[in-house]
Amino acid sequence: MSATYVYGLIAADADLPEDLVGLGPSGSVSTVAHGKLAAIVSDVPMDRPLGTRDDLLAHERVVDSVVNHTTVLPMRFPAVVEEEGLVEELLGPHQEHFLAILDRLDGKVQYTLKARYEQDVLLQEILEEDEQIRRLHEQVRELPEDAAYYDRVKLGELIVRALEKRREVDAADIVERLEPFAADVSTTTPSQPEDVVLAAFLVERDAVPAFDEAVEDLGRDTHEWLRLRLLGPLAPYDFIPQE
Amino acid sequence: MTVATQQGGGGYVERGGGGGGSSGLADVVELILDKGLVIDVFVRVSLVGIEILTIDARIVVASVDTFLRFAEATNRLDLYGKGKGGKDLTQLTQGVMEGGAKGKTSGMLDAAVDKFEEVMSSRREEREEAPRRRPRQRSREEDG
Repeated sequence: MSATYVYGLIAADADLPEDLVGLGPSGSVSTVAHGKLAAIVSDVPMDRPLGTRDDLLAHERVVDSVVNHTTVLPMRFPAVVEEEGLVEELLGPHQEHFLAILDRLDGKVQYTLKARYEQDVLLQEILEEDEQIRRLHEQVRELPEDAAYYDRVKLGELIVRALEKRREVDAADIVERLEPFAADVSTTTPSQPEDVVLAAFLVERDAVPAFDEAVEDLGRDTHEWLRLRLLGPLAPYDFIPQE
Repeated sequence: MTVATQQGGGGYVERGGGGGGSSGLADVVELILDKGLVIDVFVRVSLVGIEILTIDARIVVASVDTFLRFAEATNRLDLYGKGKGGKDLTQLTQGVMEGGAKGKTSGMLDAAVDKFEEVMSSRREEREEAPRRRPRQRSREEDG
């Protein structure tokens, strides 16, 4: 029995870009079609464990290169099946389900926006606006580090709370500004206090220039206190139903 | 992360991704390990001889260390050396832009590591001795 790596699913009549490089020993990537659906596949390295940095990057690169050609349902890493199971278990029995998702996402791509506060600018503002934080900050400054341990923890905690309060408002503003240009939005609360928003936007291909311009406008308006990173076009990772 | 900061219209937004090989590993991990179709849901996988590395690259930051990081960042601010006004803000922003994301981040991480080590050693000392100070910001409420 041989193992097959699956990167994602596309419509059977869609074309793949030619220069894809897979994570298997052959490096080649191909498709296996069944009905109206095709799986993007390659061989799998058998002499080492799967999951190296290069494996992860190869998976993403294949999926997101296909995005420029056609709509793709990305698999979560790692997706390995037995060659026989590909049609018998994956493409065959779940065909309608996958086609329905593919149809819903057709013609759309994902952009992921990450916004992070310019830390010093925000800290300065918080110190200016919050008297309790300012006082504690002054108190901590004057003491030797060891002596002020509890006060420093308290100071940090107050700052983190202040940041979190702000980002609720700022994240909502950011999403509200870009929402009109997207078919769907999926937001995640970032784990770091200085990260304001982690939002995935599902954008119609035709609407990409307008969306892009809106992000650039947002960047221009906020660059003194916010740093924006835009990833995309990506496969619609955030809009795949979670079973 | 290879990022073009000056491409496109105004260059206020850093860009990456899109299959061009410009995504950083952290971005990729976030996308392909947490999201997408899960093969095991659809396929009864019974592969023999394939070893898959367990990956959990998510960084868990203990809250106290996060708090100390921000207390330290605040301490580094030179609040009084600068006058108020747009000029200083602009200079600050330019400094950040010129330094680039990578430089700033790694600087912050280095600082956090230094801090962490200091904190650990000071915490050990404090455990041996009695805490010399207690938080006192609530004393007024308690009195009243």
